Amino acid sequence: MLETLAQAVINGLLIGGIYALVSIGVTLIFGVVKIVNFAQGEFVMIGMYITFFLANRFGIDPLVSLAVSIPVLFVIGMLVQHFLIRRVLGLGDMPQIFLTFALSLLLMNVALLLFTANYRTVHTAYSDESIHLGALYVPVAKLIAFALAMAFSGILWLFLHLTDLGKAMRAAAQNPDVAMLMGINPHRVFAVAFGAALALAGAAGSLLMPFYPASPMAGQVFVLMAFVAVVLGTLGNVTGALVASLMMGIAESLGIQFVGADSGLIVVFLMLLLTLAFRPSGLAGGRAR
Amino acid sequence: MNSRYGVRIWLGVLIAFAIVLPLVVTDRFATDIFIRILLFAFIGVAWNLMGGYAKQLSLGHAAYFGLGAYTSTILEIRYGISPWIGMIAGGGVAALASLPIGALCFRLRGPYFAIATIATAQVLMLLFLKFRDFAWGAEGTTIPNFGDAPLMMQFDEKSSYYYLALGLLALGLAITYRIEHSWMGYYLVAIGEDEDAAEAIGVNAPRVKRDIYMISAFLTALAGTFYVQYIYFIDPATAFSFNISVEAALVCIVGGIGTLWGPVVGTVLLETTSALLQSWLGSSAGGVQLTVYSLILIAVILWRPSGLLGVFEDAYRRIVRARPASTEEAVLDG
Repeated sequence: MLETLAQAVINGLLIGGIYALVSIGVTLIFGVVKIVNFAQGEFVMIGMYITFFLANRFGIDPLVSLAVSIPVLFVIGMLVQHFLIRRVLGLGDMPQIFLTFALSLLLMNVALLLFTANYRTVHTAYSDESIHLGALYVPVAKLIAFALAMAFSGILWLFLHLTDLGKAMRAAAQNPDVAMLMGINPHRVFAVAFGAALALAGAAGSLLMPFYPASPMAGQVFVLMAFVAVVLGTLGNVTGALVASLMMGIAESLGIQFVGADSGLIVVFLMLLLTLAFRPSGLAGGRAR
Repeated sequence: MNSRYGVRIWLGVLIAFAIVLPLVVTDRFATDIFIRILLFAFIGVAWNLMGGYAKQLSLGHAAYFGLGAYTSTILEIRYGISPWIGMIAGGGVAALASLPIGALCFRLRGPYFAIATIATAQVLMLLFLKFRDFAWGAEGTTIPNFGDAPLMMQFDEKSSYYYLALGLLALGLAITYRIEHSWMGYYLVAIGEDEDAAEAIGVNAPRVKRDIYMISAFLTALAGTFYVQYIYFIDPATAFSFNISVEAALVCIVGGIGTLWGPVVGTVLLETTSALLQSWLGSSAGGVQLTVYSLILIAVILWRPSGLLGVFEDAYRRIVRARPASTEEAVLDG
């Protein structure tokens, strides 16, 4: 019983690392650009397909393809911000919600047309490997994904706190008007924030490939998880999103283990609704918007 | 000719057209498309009350569609109660369910309200997947066919379904018209413009939002009952389909959010496009319809966020204004 519990916690924690990459992206965009990116999951999906095709055509290992998926998604992010998001800033909720929502629908269905609904998998030497710790086992692919996800989150944190651009980003998040008076170009900052958020989504896509199949709808689960984590971890709070994502991964895994295979999402949604009922400003406190 | 009079003439023409249409066009495929248009326009009208006027952008109206569908089906199959009664009961269940759901979701604003509503619809779908004994689980069930049984909301003629859907849409539009011209309508618009400002001038926003959510949920549930009676089948994936939630919002935005006729215009455009695509490409191209929908949506948001109804109105006004006799009317309108 205790072992089952520990195993479920390990599984949840490892997948929680991937959720964290997606959530941090969502919360970064929300904090800086002040919009919710409903299409974040679809950028994970794009990262997965990039990784799949590099592996399938050229035999490139998913971990090596991070070097492609991260910069490609970063550029896509800057372009999306520049050509789409920028045009609806300050126009109210409706255009902002439905622009990214439409983008999500578009990417999903274009992927369906181009790649069909078939599941695509990449098999690596470490896909089936696992480390045994007594009665527990830790799948190597998931462990690598978790470790790199934490590393990328850490790099983002350092970037936000140590570099001038990162500081400018946090300043624009706190008060865009004052930031502008200090000579910060908001559109540049927004584009970098959007690019960085999508780069994280792309990284998540590559890290998932050794143990998770790509499909046009693959991003949906991750974006739902991210939304809940972002509410749970207080909107716009990067560390909050990270911690909440890990919690959600564990909660989902426990739900699957002890309630039933199809109950992971119920547990997660109930967590969202309970949070709204009792702690609407999120676990980290602060303001709910 | 004053403009009120003009509106009445157009309304009369439209009603006559809608009534005569199934008598002239008897093709089953075409009638099916008309019924879809009427039904989704009605769902759009229900969504629009809350999403359009009060700008509470729900992406979870499938919750109420599904509750309406399941309530009438369970009452019919388990207790032999006519879907006519089940339809009203389903509306009641949905309106009641909107109270706790609203109490939770209205704690969030804007995009996070939308996400919370997605979660509620998903939770309901997952719950109905679990209710195997009571609600048939994932396999769903077919609705028993009584042949031509108007008392059980079953008809031989497709046109009967058409008129039923038309009646629902007329009901939705009438309710919208009444609300639009009442204090509640002004409260809703005020909340939609700026909720804090509305509260500051004395609008009881939580109460108004609660009430309009109940009405919206009630109407959406009626559509759910109609739909399962029409397709003779129910399962959680159909009844709580995310596509229902999406299309409800989509038709309003494309047509004209927060306007009486916006959802109707939006549905006619989108469903006609979808039907044309289907007849050109066949059913093989699964992603085409939503690809086109999302492109239309992006185009509308970037270039005409107030919806396409306004484009038609502008064009109409330009034509009217071009006639010298009507200049006076145009000035009065402006």
